[in-house]
Amino acid sequence: MTHLRLIEGEPAEGPFREAPLPQRLPHGRHGIPRDVVHDHQRVRLLAGMAAALEKHGYAGVTTTNVSKCAGISSGTYYKHFGNLWDCLLAAYVTTAERLCASIEAGCAERDPETPPLRAGTAAALELCAAEPASALLLSTQPPIEALAVSTARRQLIARLAGMLRAARDPDQPSSRPSSLDERMIDAALAFVGAQVAAGRAAGLPALTPELTTILTP
Amino acid sequence: MPPERAAAWEALPVDSQVRTTEEEAREGALEGVLAVAGQVGFRAASVRAILDYSGGHRRQFYELFASKEDCFEQAYSTWLARVGAAVLEAAVAAPTWAGSVQAGLGALFEFVSRRPEIARSLFIEVQVARGGALAEHEATMERIATALDSVREQIDADQQPPEATGLFVVGGIEASVCEALTVGDPGRVWDALPELMHLAVGSYLTTADAEAAFEEAKQLLARERGALEGGEAE
Repeated sequence: MTHLRLIEGEPAEGPFREAPLPQRLPHGRHGIPRDVVHDHQRVRLLAGMAAALEKHGYAGVTTTNVSKCAGISSGTYYKHFGNLWDCLLAAYVTTAERLCASIEAGCAERDPETPPLRAGTAAALELCAAEPASALLLSTQPPIEALAVSTARRQLIARLAGMLRAARDPDQPSSRPSSLDERMIDAALAFVGAQVAAGRAAGLPALTPELTTILTP
Repeated sequence: MPPERAAAWEALPVDSQVRTTEEEAREGALEGVLAVAGQVGFRAASVRAILDYSGGHRRQFYELFASKEDCFEQAYSTWLARVGAAVLEAAVAAPTWAGSVQAGLGALFEFVSRRPEIARSLFIEVQVARGGALAEHEATMERIATALDSVREQIDADQQPPEATGLFVVGGIEASVCEALTVGDPGRVWDALPELMHLAVGSYLTTADAEAAFEEAKQLLARERGALEGGEAE
């Protein structure tokens, strides 16, 4: 019987980063439970989507190059997703969840002297700097074929705006217009996207003080 | 929106000279590639669909452009210059910085409302097309950010906002345009005017200035909408 052993792979970006997983599972009979294989393939495909988008852009991304980036066959791709845009939506939602989780963790684990807004901003920018492909996925306006991603983007913005309101100093009264925070988050996403697209992702954490000041009323 | 400028974008391109067939074909294709990409997306925009829109011939298209991508880049440059000129013209006519921002936004939103398919190409599909068009887009955003930064001359050294403020505000404006276009209701972009004025002015000046700009934009919208409704009733 084949022992449960995963083939070692190169460290990867995206979802693999915090808990590195091997690039590929062994071929043939290996005794790894089917659901583990399935979940592993899905995670690789989602990371593959972000990588393919970064490499080919929306104009050139295809199910074939997503599969290639993920190291998975096209046939397996279609066992997980019906088409390119289904995978894009899943990648977007998963990455958005990780961004929100990073911000929440950054706020929860912050130094008591550090204001929550600054801690959350720092966590978000660090994630975007570490994973430029994920940052581009979240910040780039999706094309007309991916309307569901546009909806997911609006949901992310609403959620981040809620976090922004919660992170501000509650003792400071504010007469701000109701959806100004959503516009500020939208602006922040566009700003981060422009920095990453210009090849300045590594410099994002250094912008934490500036962005915190801008987001502070 | 100001009624006197209401049909200005529909009349574009304005050209007093008599065009040759080649110039007409080129101009048609430039508008066609943006209109078609704005309607079906850059990926699905075929040369056939562009020619169906503009009325030219395939052979002539390839005499004028190397590819669909080349046509998009040239169209992008041409139309971005037109929109930029209209925004600049509106902005410089205003007596104050905040007035210039509001007037510039008004000119931009008028274009978005009147030519949503072209606007969609300029603001959203350019992210799909990438290449030279996206580089020009990014350079334009930087120039607008620099123009917004002109107000720094009026701000004391110890009150200067962060260096990234201009790009941040430009990002917010563009995102609002994209949102209105994505939901398929380009006229909705006008709803964002007061909040964008608050965002732009508040990012540089005081909260009181931001609130004043917000109120002024709200009143402008109410007046314009009242005038439009009055016109429709007549």
